[in-house]
Amino acid sequence: MLHIKDLTKNYGSFTAVNHLTLNIPEGDLFGFVGPNGAGKTTTIRIVCGLLKATSGSVQIGDTSAPVGSKEMKRLIGYVPDFFGVYDNLKVKEYMDMYGSMYSMNSRDIERLTVDLLELVNLSDKKEVYVDTLSRGMKQRLCVARALLHNPKLLILDEPNSGLDPRARVEMKEVLMNLQSMGKTIIISSHILSELSEMCNSIGIMNRGQLVTAGRIDDIMGKLRDDKRIHIHVASEMEPAVRLLHEQAGVVVDSVRENEIIISHKGTDEQICAMLGYLIQNQIILTGFHKEEGSLESLFMQLTGGGAA
Amino acid sequence: MKIRLNPIVKKDLQVSARSMRLSWGLFAYEALLTMAFLLALIVIQENSSYFYYRETNIYSDLIYLFPVVAVVQVCIVALIVPILTASSISGEKERQTFDIMLTTCMSPWSIVVGKVTSAVIRILFFVVGSMPIMALSFVVGGMSWGNLLLYVLAVVLLSVFSGSIGIMCSAFCKKSITAVIMSFAIYCVIYGFSFVPILITIMMTGRSAGESVLLLLFNPMVFFEEFFSLMMTGETLINDISFSRKDVGFITYHLTQSDLWVYVSAAAILLLSVVFMLIAAWKVNPMNARGGKKRKKG
Repeated sequence: MLHIKDLTKNYGSFTAVNHLTLNIPEGDLFGFVGPNGAGKTTTIRIVCGLLKATSGSVQIGDTSAPVGSKEMKRLIGYVPDFFGVYDNLKVKEYMDMYGSMYSMNSRDIERLTVDLLELVNLSDKKEVYVDTLSRGMKQRLCVARALLHNPKLLILDEPNSGLDPRARVEMKEVLMNLQSMGKTIIISSHILSELSEMCNSIGIMNRGQLVTAGRIDDIMGKLRDDKRIHIHVASEMEPAVRLLHEQAGVVVDSVRENEIIISHKGTDEQICAMLGYLIQNQIILTGFHKEEGSLESLFMQLTGGGAA
Repeated sequence: MKIRLNPIVKKDLQVSARSMRLSWGLFAYEALLTMAFLLALIVIQENSSYFYYRETNIYSDLIYLFPVVAVVQVCIVALIVPILTASSISGEKERQTFDIMLTTCMSPWSIVVGKVTSAVIRILFFVVGSMPIMALSFVVGGMSWGNLLLYVLAVVLLSVFSGSIGIMCSAFCKKSITAVIMSFAIYCVIYGFSFVPILITIMMTGRSAGESVLLLLFNPMVFFEEFFSLMMTGETLINDISFSRKDVGFITYHLTQSDLWVYVSAAAILLLSVVFMLIAAWKVNPMNARGGKKRKKG
């Protein structure tokens, strides 16, 4: 659906986006992750035609239209991180205005407004002034507005920033509904736990470069070759640690009161053998478990600990 | 065939119609015009009773109501329109609605035209609202309805011109207040400094202003002075400065010998307005922007 090739954006001597190449398949809910200043918003603004790239190309679907052209704009629905509203304008008039900006006829706008407001749970707010809506409602209204011209690609730049937990959940539901309808969605966010629940693919940017991108499961699988295992020990810790050091492929990461955390590069069978070896040597184990990989840990690992 | 209204015009009119500012603005505008009208009427009456031996009567003197009320109206329009348009694009930027607008299928030119048109229409509310006062000064003063229509067109021209200066400044500035200040600075240059090249040319040549007088074609102040003169006396004043072929250049001489000056000036002002609007459209088009500053976010 979205093909970004060798995209670069320079601000004087500073390179905000550095030879970015990214392909997002149709129907994906793609999470765009990176620390502040990583180049996510710059990339999004270039795709939306709000910024001119220094070099590189952006293609949506099969169209060869240049970025910023009317043809390209029809394919994109854009929801910025923060947007203002007009005083004294009702929700239906707000939708009507943006529909008219896509040269839609008033009958279609009216019909779609009803459907989209229902989709974002704002059906009862049609006659309400936009500036009286809550932040979460405004954000959902902005999603409805972005969908009015039926774009192929919906781009949301940190849609959940500044929203309360309820509004975030409502927003998440709206996005997951849209994905189930087959829309391709790109969402840039700092809330990694939400992205890992929603997205089926992600891209991690750092210092203007794409560190990794792909299916979320594949990336999590690549997170570590070694597996982190927590071993709970009831007996003396010292002999247990000594025995673990003797094992090939085992690195003891930390020793706590009744817990040893190790990294093991071997297979599950080798891990079982290692645990059996401990038991055979009179080490009393009360339990053990494998550490689950998280998007946070992946992010921290790939961006060198930079804050999201 | 259904005429499609520019969405920005529709939105701006909806929003401004619900605002108290429009009501208060209209009230202040009408009050100011009425005061100017009554003041002019009192002065005319006083003069008429003082010079009792005059051959003309008070009715023929009432024609002077027109320039007084019209000049007040033109001054108000010239002051209000740049403020309306100077805060239009920069206002959208401040409100953070401009980016969304740019991602729609509206071209930068349509956005600029929409903003100027909505300002002109809002000014027309005022102008049309003041028609009874203007009509009185026209009809009692002995001027034709055709002149009244021409006058309205001239005010629209001034609105477009002032609006185009405002929108250009708005496109360049992030803050509305900066755009308003910049608009009035450009006003000063156009209104005041268009006389400077004439003075310099006369000083350098000793007598002839050459073709530098043509610069005055772009000056709305000169345009209105000529326009009012033409309406009231049937003659323009500009030919007074070019009574001899030696005083001015060939084009200026021929242009100032008839009413042509007023029409050419109107065309020149309109052309300049279009240039200002094209500059604004070019400036707001993100695809024309150079490197620029880095946004703080990722």
